[in-house]
Amino acid sequence: MNMLPGPAQAAAIGLSVVLPLLLLCYARIAATGGSGRRFRLGCVSIIALYAIACIALPGQRHFDDVLGGLFLLATAMMFCYILFSLLAWGFTLTLLTALVKAGRPLTLEQWTVAYMQGGDLGTFTHNRLKLLVGAGMVITADGRLAPTAKGVAVARLVKLVRLSTGLG
Amino acid sequence: MSFMIGLLAAVTFAVLAPALQLMARAREWKFGPVMLLAIAAIVTHGLGVMLGIFVVPQFQYWDAASIFGFCVMGYVFAFGAVYKSVSLDILLGVVDRPERRAPLSEIVEQQVPALFQGRIGNLVDGGLVEPADSHFTATAAGRTMASRVGQLRRAFGIGDTSLYDFSD
Repeated sequence: MNMLPGPAQAAAIGLSVVLPLLLLCYARIAATGGSGRRFRLGCVSIIALYAIACIALPGQRHFDDVLGGLFLLATAMMFCYILFSLLAWGFTLTLLTALVKAGRPLTLEQWTVAYMQGGDLGTFTHNRLKLLVGAGMVITADGRLAPTAKGVAVARLVKLVRLSTGLG
Repeated sequence: MSFMIGLLAAVTFAVLAPALQLMARAREWKFGPVMLLAIAAIVTHGLGVMLGIFVVPQFQYWDAASIFGFCVMGYVFAFGAVYKSVSLDILLGVVDRPERRAPLSEIVEQQVPALFQGRIGNLVDGGLVEPADSHFTATAAGRTMASRVGQLRRAFGIGDTSLYDFSD
């Protein structure tokens, strides 16, 4: 068994470690925009650096090595995105931080207001619905919500994924 | 050939992971879904490496590990997307109705508060929040976690609303 990564794979492993550090640096640059945009920028930077590494590294490139490196980079990006999205858009985590930030015991209603930072459940619902409406999965008309054909297809896919991953 | 071993290990993971989730629910195991995914990943990765050592004369560990990591992270990504997504819960709630329509007011007043209560239940079960009469207080573990989350959010320049920023 050969435990040593190829040159491109070694570069990908190094860049996988660099990704969170790059995101930390980008957080200090206002021009990089919001969380989502900053993450995409981080991923594009890492892919560009990988391409440069593949060209600049001495020796001949092997397809297996480059392909393995790409898989490793994509794995790191997905792993970082899972953690990053939990921090940025995690519902349960933000419920906890809102309760701690309040600094006193809260009733359910007070907790909801603290979570929404003065807003209400309607604001929260409309924010999450914007995602569904923007993706063309639901339409709203006359105060009612209805799924589009795409929404029904996505719902079926979600059920399939839940079933096949053992979530029921 | 090493890539094939990694792919085979990933397929084994895709079979073992849901089986563990189903068994955990049926037998009321204490392990959470994420812990079960980690166990399935470690076991199948170990099996894949052992198979590679015995079957492939020049087994390249990182070729196998790269495709295995990519497939497993893709699985975890899909799992995370459907596991507790508020937007998808709203979509499924509408699609599952016989008339496939729902008043927005009903979603705001019934479905979303139920989602809030479900997540609060998770925090209570996880020992991060404790209910007292009609109030909720963060436990010491909850305060520690909230403090760490706050530090990470500040470091990565992430806001603390968990709302989607559509201008982003």
